[in-house]
Amino acid sequence: MSISPERPIYSPFFSVMGATSAMVFSSMGAAYGTAKSGVGIAAMAIMKPELIMKSVVPVVMAGILAIYGVVVAVLIANTINKEGTTMAKDLTNMGAGLSVGLSAMAAGFAIGIVGDAGVRGTAQQPKLFVGMVLMLIFAEVLGLYGLITALVMMYA
Amino acid sequence: MSIKTGIASALTLLGTFISFYIVYALLTNQLFLLDIGWLLTAFGPIYWASLGIGLAMGLSVMGAAWGIWSTGASVMGGGVMVPRIYSKNLVSIIFCEAVAIYGIIVSIIMATGLKPYNGDDPATLAMNYESGYRVFGAGMITGFCNLFCGICVGIIGSSAALADAANDKLFVKVLVIEIFGSVLGLFGIILALILSSEAKFGEMK
Repeated sequence: MSISPERPIYSPFFSVMGATSAMVFSSMGAAYGTAKSGVGIAAMAIMKPELIMKSVVPVVMAGILAIYGVVVAVLIANTINKEGTTMAKDLTNMGAGLSVGLSAMAAGFAIGIVGDAGVRGTAQQPKLFVGMVLMLIFAEVLGLYGLITALVMMYA
Repeated sequence: MSIKTGIASALTLLGTFISFYIVYALLTNQLFLLDIGWLLTAFGPIYWASLGIGLAMGLSVMGAAWGIWSTGASVMGGGVMVPRIYSKNLVSIIFCEAVAIYGIIVSIIMATGLKPYNGDDPATLAMNYESGYRVFGAGMITGFCNLFCGICVGIIGSSAALADAANDKLFVKVLVIEIFGSVLGLFGIILALILSSEAKFGEMK
């Protein structure tokens, strides 16, 4: 509620758009990752039902991306009303939200495609499981880069 | 006609409208039309709030519908040979329906908070505009998160139906993945309620 020449009346819009893009884009990535690897898991489960619980790894990693988005969105939502928030802070919040959102969306796409191919390959060749997990970790770290950038923007 | 042609033509139309708007503003000496600050404050907070509430309801229902038609088609198709699957796979349909219920809860909570205000005092104006933007953001979050959640749960539900048709012990295990998918809609409404709980319209007390 702090209005001043440094914070015109339309400035909270940018913070709110930051929170929105953080949540919306990261949930799109998480949804894609979950759906694409889920289809692969259901397909390979018909032949190898004992491998389902091991194959849930890409689904869990896609869910973590949504949590990155929630964290940044909640942090942004708590700064909108604080005293001493300037327009610079609001615009930075928008950048932070876009950073984590789009990174998590890209990471979710990667996790989905790698997870789908990985679980189908692991069903036929069990030695591929370690390779799939390594590739999923590299894909997950893309979302983490976005989260780190968002936190650095907001707090440093 | 492919999806790529559709996306390309939609983007071209959008670009044409935006460039005509810009050229009109430049040529008729009405440059305030291009001012982002003016655009954000021209209509008033009720416009933003109503847009948010409408998007929350509409996009949530679209997500639920997408999920239901994805799963339903697979259940009906698989059930031709294996009729026992339809009763268990109604659970997937209910997961999709829950997404629509999240949308209507958030829309009604936000819609009952809208009140008129007297636009003299700058502090009241600031509070109402901020609340309008908050409700817009909360509505967009709810709508889009529920849309993606519904699509995701629908795709997994259709795979679960086909796996269930092949081997009836598989349904409960694939349901675990569906639960991971439905958590996304929950995140959406949690964020929406966090944002919109601070939104106060009307006069300042």
